[in-house]
Amino acid sequence: MLVGLTAASAVGSCDPVRDDAVSALGGEAPGVKPGPLHRPGQPCLLCHDGATGDPAALSIAGTVYAGGNTLAPAVGATVTLQSADGTRTTATTNAAGNFYLTPDTYAPKYPVHVISIVQGGASVTMHSHIGGNGSCAGCHTDPPGPASPGHVYFSNSGVSP
Amino acid sequence: MTNSRLVSHLLAATIGAVAFACSVPASDARFDEQTPDSGSFPPVAAMLVQACGTLDCHGTVGRNLRLYGDTGLRYSATDVPSTLVPTTPDEVAQDYESVVGLEPEITSEVVASGGANPERLTLYRKALGLESHKGGAVVVHGDPRDVCITTWLQGHADASACTAALTLP
Repeated sequence: MLVGLTAASAVGSCDPVRDDAVSALGGEAPGVKPGPLHRPGQPCLLCHDGATGDPAALSIAGTVYAGGNTLAPAVGATVTLQSADGTRTTATTNAAGNFYLTPDTYAPKYPVHVISIVQGGASVTMHSHIGGNGSCAGCHTDPPGPASPGHVYFSNSGVSP
Repeated sequence: MTNSRLVSHLLAATIGAVAFACSVPASDARFDEQTPDSGSFPPVAAMLVQACGTLDCHGTVGRNLRLYGDTGLRYSATDVPSTLVPTTPDEVAQDYESVVGLEPEITSEVVASGGANPERLTLYRKALGLESHKGGAVVVHGDPRDVCITTWLQGHADASACTAALTLP
């Protein structure tokens, strides 16, 4: 067990770039324990990369918000994804707006297309595909700028960045 | 051999090596670069942006092949990806510089030979998946993306193929 812990520790600390990125995320929000509701809007796979088994690996995960100018979560939205091989899968956002898929249930072949995000009869899609980063927040960071469209949200146009 | 002779020989060898290392091309030597057609590049840029330029791939400032475009990295500080603002002429120009600047000598050779053996280019080998590429094989011999890029290297991009390439997943 000691050997396992040592090995896991070594794996987790051998990438200073990753370690710095994880540190930059900061601590947990007050009153929110690690779990499906934690850290909305952050790049999930940065930690959930399966490197050590804890936290568990995710294949694609992110957060959907109710609008472009609000951080209110879009709860109960259905996210439909399509792999390059044509296979589709869906995930539903939770109370924090988070959704996630695990490698054992969905191991996508990139590029992956976000076919739709549906909530209450409204549907939005994504302009471009996902090239290889399973964290929505790997690209969708706030504030919007030349290198980011901002967080994922519903809009009246039917198109979400 | 005496010590003084040995020192003399070493000195001569060192001077010779330095002289050789410091030799420079003749002042009138020129590299005549033959660049691919910039006039027919815009549809090629559109294809590249769609296929390769997402924000998690080549739409990133850290990439050698850095691509700007409407759905990826924006060139203007005031533009935002995926906001229905079309790819700008400045972005197309930057994309052109990115592509031709990757391997200018080899690109020049390929263009000079009428686009023959485009596999000489790392860009093309990676796109086909012939060389290690995180994005895998995004071009298949004979598909619209392939026709788009190879006709451009031959002299004039097949715009219809480039447009057709935009429908590929």
